[in-house]
Amino acid sequence: MFAYLARKIWRDFQGEILALPTRTILFAAAVALLLLPLVTDDAYLLRIVATASIFAVYAASWDLLVGFSGQTTLGHSLFFGIAAYTAALLNLRFGLPAFLTIPAGALAAVLAGLLLSLPALRVRGPYFSLASLAMPIILMGLIFSFPGLTGGEMGLSGISRLAGTRTGEYYFLLISMFVLTLLMWKIATSRTALIFHAIREDEIVVRVSGINTTYYKILVFCCSGFFAGMAGSLYAHFLRVVGPSTLDIMMSLQVIIWGIFGGVVTIYGPVVGVFILYPLLEYLRIIPDWRMLIFAGIVVVTLRFMPEGISNKFQDLLERQCPRCKERNIFMRKECRICCTDIGTCSRVG
Amino acid sequence: MIVLQKGVRKLWELILINGLIIGGQYALLALGFSLILGVARVLNLAHPAFYMLSAFTIYTFSQVLDFNLTVTYILSLVFMIGLGVVIYQVILAPVRAQTSTVLILGLVLGIAAQELMLIFYGGQFRSLTRLASGTMQLGDAVISNQHILALSAVMLSLLGVWFLLFKSRFGIPIRAVAQDREVANLMGIPESRIAILTMAVSVALAVIAAAMVAPIGVIDPLMWLHPLVIVLTAVILGGLGSIKGSIMAAFILAFVEVSLVFLAPGAAFLRGAVSMFVMLTVLMFKPEGLYGVFMEGER
Amino acid sequence: MAEDFLQVERLCKRFGGLHAVRDVSFSVGRHEMVGLIGPNGAGKTTLVRLLLGILRADSGRVLFRGQNLLGKKPWEIVSQGLALTFQNARPFARLPVIANVMVSCLSPRASKRGEWVKKIESRAMDALEFAGIADMAREPASCLSQGDLKRLEVARAIACEPDLLILDEPFGGLSPTETGLMAKSLRRLHKGGRFGRLHSEGPAMIIIEHKLSELMKIVDRVIVINFGELLAVGTPEEIVANPQVIEAYIGKEVD
Ligand SMILES: Nc1ncnc2c1ncn2[C@@H]1O[C@H](COP(=O)(O)OP(=O)(O)O)[C@@H](O)[C@H]1O
Ligand SMILES: [Mg+2]
Repeated sequence: MFAYLARKIWRDFQGEILALPTRTILFAAAVALLLLPLVTDDAYLLRIVATASIFAVYAASWDLLVGFSGQTTLGHSLFFGIAAYTAALLNLRFGLPAFLTIPAGALAAVLAGLLLSLPALRVRGPYFSLASLAMPIILMGLIFSFPGLTGGEMGLSGISRLAGTRTGEYYFLLISMFVLTLLMWKIATSRTALIFHAIREDEIVVRVSGINTTYYKILVFCCSGFFAGMAGSLYAHFLRVVGPSTLDIMMSLQVIIWGIFGGVVTIYGPVVGVFILYPLLEYLRIIPDWRMLIFAGIVVVTLRFMPEGISNKFQDLLERQCPRCKERNIFMRKECRICCTDIGTCSRVG
Repeated sequence: MIVLQKGVRKLWELILINGLIIGGQYALLALGFSLILGVARVLNLAHPAFYMLSAFTIYTFSQVLDFNLTVTYILSLVFMIGLGVVIYQVILAPVRAQTSTVLILGLVLGIAAQELMLIFYGGQFRSLTRLASGTMQLGDAVISNQHILALSAVMLSLLGVWFLLFKSRFGIPIRAVAQDREVANLMGIPESRIAILTMAVSVALAVIAAAMVAPIGVIDPLMWLHPLVIVLTAVILGGLGSIKGSIMAAFILAFVEVSLVFLAPGAAFLRGAVSMFVMLTVLMFKPEGLYGVFMEGER
Repeated sequence: MAEDFLQVERLCKRFGGLHAVRDVSFSVGRHEMVGLIGPNGAGKTTLVRLLLGILRADSGRVLFRGQNLLGKKPWEIVSQGLALTFQNARPFARLPVIANVMVSCLSPRASKRGEWVKKIESRAMDALEFAGIADMAREPASCLSQGDLKRLEVARAIACEPDLLILDEPFGGLSPTETGLMAKSLRRLHKGGRFGRLHSEGPAMIIIEHKLSELMKIVDRVIVINFGELLAVGTPEEIVANPQVIEAYIGKEVD
């Protein structure tokens, strides 16, 4: 019985993960991250990976909203910042523990999602992008207006820790990242996501297909808000300070850079983008003056030559699509692993 | 960038003069931005960075290399237009089809420019030499000549672009490409050359803004961020594709900002938030912006 | 009774100074197949867009089974039992063809009607088979030819399980043979013929079409509009013989 189960899991593993090089790479990377604290106790490295996993959730939630549903927001930091501030305030002013403040922060971000869906229901395209840009700036104005409560420019500090030890925090964040991105991936491959895709392509047609687009648009804003909010509250408890920088326009723009660099409409693309770009930016601190410049240069060069994002580019290089059943295959295969169609002769399909 | 003036002055005069000048500066930037957006369909987020770079180029030529002002302006104009066209041709134009890629490329280019200037000049505030000294009596108001100069230069450039677009031979192909690039191409209009020409005009407008308005205030490598937000807002608030609209909106935003600063100095930090609030309110009631082309929309 | 099903009363729509639809009244019965014809720019597309709530009407009433449809959202109207195909096909270009149809299958009305079918994929497949593009199911919709896009529109509309199906130029881009086949399938659907696991109770139909010869063969009644106004209503034979209609289509003879 046990052997049967083990064999079945192994077979699924072989079929679903080992069969495709990109999945193998992702899996190997995940395992490597899990084992990292065992081979090194470099606090700086662990801290970078932990922060990157927070931002990975944030970037993936952006992909859910922008990549999947086409609601191109320029103010995604609204979710992140509002959750971070909520978690921090509840923790500092009411002494609530992290396991309550984190969901509360996410809840606040869901409410912010409701708020942001109002302009989305009324204006479309670039008009919506700009309306969304406005929201974090207005919220930032509010935060500066009540420095007694929010700490103003200095922000709030002294928020309680996530776990007792550094390694504990590391594992907490890493596993949260796995769980949350997996959840998002589940949402992204569900029936509901099909409607999100369709809304991105042509909203009017979706309405005429009998779908209540208002409901689904509000839903996607709340979903994305929830995950971005989780990231925001985790961030508050991990850094233990929350300042206006969480709402900053750079925070919104950075997630766009991560997302597009990694490749949109994939969920894992933005995660990959974060895990490449964030540590890169951090390690460039050894040359502080040139740091942003080199970073910018790398992003420009990458996007100039692979505008579809790095994960899609690699997928196209390593895998090709079977023209018949649309399953992906490793590039060396001569025939499709599912339907045995000859694919050796046809060109790679993007 | 808010321009405060010394001396006792009636409040409304301050608001009027500063509103006009800052509005003119925003209008020049918004105009350049919407030109390149309309003609080349490139959402060039680096546009306000050209403004910042122009200010620093002028600073370099006039204060570091000690050229006289005429030479400085000609050299800066040539240098910036060259830079703008090269950046457009080498980086932006090849990926023009992917709007999102263009978006972050523009952004990252802006950040790169900012970092470069930080490396060369550091983050401290500097000021450009004023073009004109002294003051002038207008009724019972006293206005510095620099302000008069800035105001007239801004208005003249706006008029100039209007003339170029709507009254001259050069305007026709530009407007044709803006309306429908494919048809224009079929009609034998060299669409890519027109795009380059437009890029040159739009950078030139940024240089003018920097040359005329920047001497009133201070310059620093971060000076492009606030105009970036304002320009985006103005273009949307005015209605995409409407040049008149974006200029109007630029002035409205400037007046909102300036009034706030003068009427409630304690709340000056809210200027961004208040502008945004104004834009949000307008969009909720008039979703296509002030002068947007109104197509009977599908619901 | 015809009056109980769809009844349009004095419907008006202006675009600025242009009266695209002016005082149009007509009715359609539950078991009717009606042709809606008129020269280009007559306002046919605008009229059906008003019915579906895609455009907001200026005045008038649209009663469907006694309920007013005007002012309702398109999805509410679709869940009452109307469905529309677009004249210029509007696919979800980056989604596979079958996903285009699955969106309709996910609508509340369609999913309630097809409860007994476990997988919506199979119902989407049946709709595609009806339209004749089942073999393209997994290709992205951007690969389809103009004629296939028209069929995709039809598949999408019937996947909504409508009681009143409105087709805006469904034969556009189809060859004469294909047109014949499509006309026949539509007729069979209208008569209550079953297509796989689709629910279909034989929807009433309004067909906008310029290929009059094909159209006249399948419809029971024809409504003619010109310059936004109702010109004539009658059986195909009456319409073909109506001098006003001939004038609208061919133009007046100059003496
Ligand atoms: N959204 C719109 N805005 C302005 N005018 C429109 C719009 N849609 C259609 N029209 C005009 O309304 C008239 C009727 O168009 P339409 O209903 O498409 O005609 P048909 O489908 O009968 O060929 C045409 O003159 C067309 O130009
Ligand atoms: Mg039509």
